[in-house]
Amino acid sequence: MGPLAPYEIISENTNFLLAFFIGIAFGWVLESSGFSSSRKLAGIFYGYDTVVLKVFFTGAITAMLGLLFMSLFGWIDLDLVYVNPTYLTSAIIGGVVMGAGFIMGGFCPGTSFCGAAIGKIDAMVFVGGLFIGVYGFAFTYPWWEKMYMAKYLGEPKVSEKLGMSDGLFGLLLIIVALGMFIVAEWAEKKWPREEY
Amino acid sequence: MSKNTTTERSRRYLNPYLGGVLLGLVLLAANFVSGRGLGASGAVKSVVATTIEAVDKDAASTMPFMAEYAESHSGSPMRSWLVFQMLGVIVGGFLSGAVAGRLKLKVEHSPKITSRRRLIFALMGGILFGFGSQIGRGCTSGSALSGMAVLSMGGFITMMAIFGTAFALAYFFRRNWI
Amino acid sequence: MMKPLKLLALFVIPLGIIIAAVPPDRVKHFRLTADELLQEAGAGVQFISPDVVADMLVQKDPSLRLIDVRTPEEFDAYHMDGAINIPLSSLLSDEYTDILHQDAYMNVFYSNGSVYANQAWMITRQLGYENNFVLEGGLNYWFGNILSPEAPSLTSPNEEFAKYDFRKSAAAALGGGGVVATDNVAPAVKAVRPPVMSKAKKKPSGGC
Repeated sequence: MGPLAPYEIISENTNFLLAFFIGIAFGWVLESSGFSSSRKLAGIFYGYDTVVLKVFFTGAITAMLGLLFMSLFGWIDLDLVYVNPTYLTSAIIGGVVMGAGFIMGGFCPGTSFCGAAIGKIDAMVFVGGLFIGVYGFAFTYPWWEKMYMAKYLGEPKVSEKLGMSDGLFGLLLIIVALGMFIVAEWAEKKWPREEY
Repeated sequence: MSKNTTTERSRRYLNPYLGGVLLGLVLLAANFVSGRGLGASGAVKSVVATTIEAVDKDAASTMPFMAEYAESHSGSPMRSWLVFQMLGVIVGGFLSGAVAGRLKLKVEHSPKITSRRRLIFALMGGILFGFGSQIGRGCTSGSALSGMAVLSMGGFITMMAIFGTAFALAYFFRRNWI
Repeated sequence: MMKPLKLLALFVIPLGIIIAAVPPDRVKHFRLTADELLQEAGAGVQFISPDVVADMLVQKDPSLRLIDVRTPEEFDAYHMDGAINIPLSSLLSDEYTDILHQDAYMNVFYSNGSVYANQAWMITRQLGYENNFVLEGGLNYWFGNILSPEAPSLTSPNEEFAKYDFRKSAAAALGGGGVVATDNVAPAVKAVRPPVMSKAKKKPSGGC
């Protein structure tokens, strides 16, 4: 029964080794989907390239369905799967700052490493910026600490907060995502562009 | 499907839906193996923490950031799941680019702006994203993508904030892209 | 070849409907395998020493919850202070699920000997419930050794005397038979609480 590492079915070192291989798969898929190109990534915000939307939501849905079904079959204990905590204030503020970074830089950390790996200099510069940003946070942490720790709500799931089962929320998310995909395809037909 | 005019001999990208399914499977594997999802900014954090500690062994006592980091991570900061994962990402990205013929040292930018301008914005974007990812306890991979897969409310909120803000600001930076 | 979006939708919509239709508590469950149960039972992790329980009763520890698994008649005739009655035959009835499947209290099953209490433990443990224990020796041992402790012979080691003193004062506090309460309530045997046997499950950290 998974997850393997928390149940000590695999050792910590095996876990790290597998992390490396999972990372390879992650990097490969990202790059193959075009996420190593900042112009493709930024495309969603202007309508000319919706790859981010499609890959992102399809990925989330696939993983979510996978987890729920695995739990149904008793293959994984969802209690031991990490659910990101909710610190309301910092979740929003962090998201806003990241959003600004995204539209300016055209990358996010994961994709920037991919881009850097294939030689994109703008990606490398972005990575450099990441480090500067993190150092900046580290050294100015006391200024932000209060905001960072504010409004800790635990690790609620959206389905809990909406008062519905995980599966039902999953179905809802699927429907919403498919709806977005239809709009995306329409947008791409309307504003065609060349491959970057 | 849109026309595919390529100026370089590179293989086409994967169909996005296929890419999404594959990505989802990778994320699922990560959760099954380690009980946690994918991520990226955490690895940067680990490297930063390691360098700070290397320069100042006592950093944990003078810097609350380091103290807080030490609390949740035992042992060397580099021995973290994300660090190993990110090393793999670099390899995987490189391999995929190599196979597809996309390996090329260049600055990718819209023909309407200069390389320099692109790089300046890339740097600023990186700094903001780095900073924001610390506040938001994750980036699009760790918080938004992985968070959504486990239905985390914090993940959804962060995702909406990221994309919402980017959409809202898109108009002001349109010259860089279109 | 169908448009990719249509293909995707064809796949995920049925899956979504299935997962939405399945009742929530079936999607998450954790049961022990026979192997795991055998291991735990063999190691005797379910037993809790009567001295520990006595100590908790004396200290009025609020986390203790005694569960009498005998018949209601036996329960009415005599039951331990503060115990509730869940007859073994109705152990799995819905009204008791919240009592047995929880992590706030330390449930201690007891019966006259320990057979029925053990059975109760096995059944609930197999379902994956935690924080349930068995009173070692049951009521028979409790009466004979806690409530009316035997004075150790003069050549016994010190721990025996300490245990005896502790049991004497505990018995006095719990209304035992035939013991004169003395002034110096010796808290001698500092009962060691058994660790709440969580199967070495470390929740992973993540994010970032």
